[in-house]
Amino acid sequence: MRANKAILYALAIGLSLLVLAPFLWLVRMSFQTNAQIFAFPPHLWFRPTGANYAALWEGEFTRSFMNSAVTSTASTVLAMLLGVPAAYALARMRRRSDALSLWIVASRLAPPTAFAIPYFLAYRHLGLLDTRIGLIIIYLTFDLSLVVWLMRPFFETAPRALEEAAWIDGAGFWQALVRVVLPSAAPGLAATAILCFVFSWNDFFFALILTRTRAMTAPVAVVNFMNYVGWQWGRIAAGGVMVMLPVLVFSLAVRRFLVSGLTAGAVKG
Amino acid sequence: MSLAVAAAARPRAAKRERLARQRRRFLVWCLAPTLGVLMAVTLLPILYLVATSFTPLDPTNPATAWNFSRPLLNYRLMLSDGRFGNSLWVQAKLSFWTVGLQMLIGIGFALLLNLRSGMLKALRTLFLVPMVLPPIVVGIIWKVLYTPDISPAFWAFKALGWKVATPITSATWALPSIILADTWEWFPLTMLMVLAALQTVPEEILDAARVDGARIWQATLYVVLPYVRGTLMVAGLFRLIDSIKAFPLIYLLTDGGPGSVTEVTNYYAFEQAFNFSYVGYASAITVVLVTVSLALSWLIVRLTGWGADE
Repeated sequence: MRANKAILYALAIGLSLLVLAPFLWLVRMSFQTNAQIFAFPPHLWFRPTGANYAALWEGEFTRSFMNSAVTSTASTVLAMLLGVPAAYALARMRRRSDALSLWIVASRLAPPTAFAIPYFLAYRHLGLLDTRIGLIIIYLTFDLSLVVWLMRPFFETAPRALEEAAWIDGAGFWQALVRVVLPSAAPGLAATAILCFVFSWNDFFFALILTRTRAMTAPVAVVNFMNYVGWQWGRIAAGGVMVMLPVLVFSLAVRRFLVSGLTAGAVKG
Repeated sequence: MSLAVAAAARPRAAKRERLARQRRRFLVWCLAPTLGVLMAVTLLPILYLVATSFTPLDPTNPATAWNFSRPLLNYRLMLSDGRFGNSLWVQAKLSFWTVGLQMLIGIGFALLLNLRSGMLKALRTLFLVPMVLPPIVVGIIWKVLYTPDISPAFWAFKALGWKVATPITSATWALPSIILADTWEWFPLTMLMVLAALQTVPEEILDAARVDGARIWQATLYVVLPYVRGTLMVAGLFRLIDSIKAFPLIYLLTDGGPGSVTEVTNYYAFEQAFNFSYVGYASAITVVLVTVSLALSWLIVRLTGWGADE
């Protein structure tokens, strides 16, 4: 039995290394010079260089990084401000609507071209192409539904007695919501906000189509290195690491909620 | 009931009713702005998309906008468009293999990691990494692995004296290389979903199976997996819908090629709209895709009761 367990552990560790290897290889590459990257046979040990990151820091990449940060944060804040009261209302109303559920899950799962085409056409007329505002609005298509469907179960399980006690004490409905209900749902609020941020940050398709230069986000900028700047693999790898760093930290922090986030709340993790 | 109590109860009942009315109004005010915004950002664009699909819209030619003279032209075109037919076939192959492999690997890893042990719990987190990476980073990682000059896999082949073609530019291997990358990215999701379901399997039915003399693989195959089949179904459906959205990997690795070997339907619609400017035709293709994902989403809503308490 103990030997069996040892085999299982070895298997699990081996598999996890196999799964992680491609990712670790990219991180390693980001600290190498181009000569080291192309060397054959590969050097097992090498002196890491920060030159790739320094080059990114001085170039246009910082602006794209800022665009990503601003658009993701703004759409998250907007989605939370709108979506949290709505989720609360849905949790407290007696009737459930299947049509509303379908609408929300479908808007989350629709192929991205379904939104990209009409938004592209409309933005041409509204002058919103290549603007941060344009991106923030299109990110609401998935962020808003995410907030409503992740937060609703939190409010459903929150005891009603607390808010009712607050009303009796003369608090208004808003006050009761803000002072009593929301603090009790704080972990859910944090996880939901993080997931919104991550999904907006990860977007590539919408930014590719709706931005050119001024509002270009970090994922698009990294891909542009590949297509236009040429094969500076070290710089590409460093860009990739920069793009994934915030996401990796955030999503592992909320891994308990990842399943319901990725399945639009249909499945509890 | 004495008169005094009845007199006191009446205003209290009236007050309670007033409170209930105010509360209803408050809830409506919480919900209404969000529904309005959601309608504006999702429903209106879809209606616009459907309208566009009935026109031959090409933004470089203003006369084609809002031209409904031959509304079904795009849909009829689709039936005779060989490249569209090919894209459906590529999509079917991609969906079949990625969903199948992700389910198998996800279930296998979940069964392995489900053993009660602190170390395996810690390992679980490591397995999540591929799925939480931004999709374009996954694309870059696999581009590196598939590029002979810099790929550790190709160095290994070279050291072994094998000659291996670049998979992403080979007509035979381009689609399998996308499938491999996509499987790596998303098997953690099915794994997580199955793991969550495995926690709900009651100990008693496992004990019962053991008492009946079932071996561990028999108990797994005939007791555990049937017990979680609902979750397996939903996980498969989710991956199926997501496989229709496949984009960043194809864009970065093969650009739909070589030829149109990896050109899935969503990618074909993207090319028609944003490379060739046939926005009307692309809209019609997208309407077909939306209909399919809507049907699959409806299945999910039915199957799960929408996260309602089981």
